Amino acid sequence: MQIVKTQQDATLTLALEGRLDTLTSSQLDAEIQGKLDGITSLVFDFAKLAYISSAGLRILLAAQKVMNKQGSMVIKNAGPEIREIFDVTGFSDILTLE
Amino acid sequence: MEKKDVVDYGLPPRETMILEEYREKHATFEKLLQVVKNILSESIASNSIYINALEARIKAEDSLAGKLERKAGKYSSLSDLTDILGVRVITFYSDEVDKIAALVGEIFEIDWENSIDKRKMHDIHSFGYSSLHYICRVPRALFEDPAFPELNDIRFEVQMRTALQHVWSVLDHDTGYKSGFEVPKEYLRNINRLAGMLELADEQFCAIRTGINNYRRHVQSLVRSGKFDEVPLDGDSFGNYLELRPFDSLNNRIASINQAEIHETSLVGYLKLFLFLGFKTLGDIEKMIKENSEDAYQLAAFQLANTDLDIINSSLAVVNLCAVHVLKRGGGVLELTRCLDELNGPSEVNRSRAEHLYGRAKKLAFMEAANS
Repeated sequence: MQIVKTQQDATLTLALEGRLDTLTSSQLDAEIQGKLDGITSLVFDFAKLAYISSAGLRILLAAQKVMNKQGSMVIKNAGPEIREIFDVTGFSDILTLE
Repeated sequence: MEKKDVVDYGLPPRETMILEEYREKHATFEKLLQVVKNILSESIASNSIYINALEARIKAEDSLAGKLERKAGKYSSLSDLTDILGVRVITFYSDEVDKIAALVGEIFEIDWENSIDKRKMHDIHSFGYSSLHYICRVPRALFEDPAFPELNDIRFEVQMRTALQHVWSVLDHDTGYKSGFEVPKEYLRNINRLAGMLELADEQFCAIRTGINNYRRHVQSLVRSGKFDEVPLDGDSFGNYLELRPFDSLNNRIASINQAEIHETSLVGYLKLFLFLGFKTLGDIEKMIKENSEDAYQLAAFQLANTDLDIINSSLAVVNLCAVHVLKRGGGVLELTRCLDELNGPSEVNRSRAEHLYGRAKKLAFMEAANS
């Protein structure tokens, strides 16, 4: 999985490409864990993400928990397959999808 | 205090001595202010009384000089004046004045002879300034400081009043008619009319709060005893209902499909969806759960069974229940989108989610029955 990280002021954007699964979720975790200090807007760009597993969902939930205290988190450009995963697990109800 | 700070107010000898005593003891009064304020705020907080304000002040020197001039000959020493330190507790509700009074009576030594309940001083024809004043001392058992040996002998005043009584008092003082300035009777009458209105408003606020508290207790009791049909659906009742965790059973069943973990989130926001669906009582939700649980489970199973997703959100049961409820009544993508718009705010995402839900549901038995 490729992660392209861009930061402008307090906005951090992570563009993911490939599959966010058990094997690659630790890669995303390493990009986020302890690195959100001072970030008030966290944006995930899922335009090129093909799949997300439960492990990936858990990383997103952990990030959401942090951002609830210090700003906002948005998931952009998620394709139909990813959206379906959010829908069937009920996470569409708590994640902000654009 | 340096000589240059001392103002000569031209008072008689005894009053001048009282003023000098005031200057000498100013540090003790400052200490007393801090002690009293700390003790009171801690006690009020520990008794869970929510107040509007706790204020404390030491009488300003020029204000004391003015009083001594106006009442020359009345006071022999500073200890005769009980309002050099004044503390004010402002409550929201009139019955909380009594709670604060009980607390003050418990904490401090009260000089009952000089304490006044002005609330009881009005006759049937008058309204006006209403406040409860206690003259107090700090008992040595409660606080003692060798650096301030006289602190426990000093009397201070605690005024207790509601926010509306406080507004009245401030505005009444501002009109200045008590200063001897002749105010036309029509203005005095209007001031008294206003006082009567504020007294009524205080009573009404108390009555409304008591009514709401009684309603909440009644709802809690009905919910606990399972009399859901008798409980109107609103924020209070829904909150109480959620404490019974009515969606757990279905969530657990859905979670068991993939041995999934349930991520807990608040379901309070789903009240607006139930109201949008026209539900009037908690009984309507109970009925929906009973009638639709099996089909909601089938809908979730149909979506999850061919995945390895082992985490679900705790909203899943209620979303699937509502979806089945809407679809069984002939609703389609449009109605599902409207529900999601109501729940999450209008968005393009809602339409695609509704289409997905509908696409899955139409393959299930309950849809065939609904469409036949």
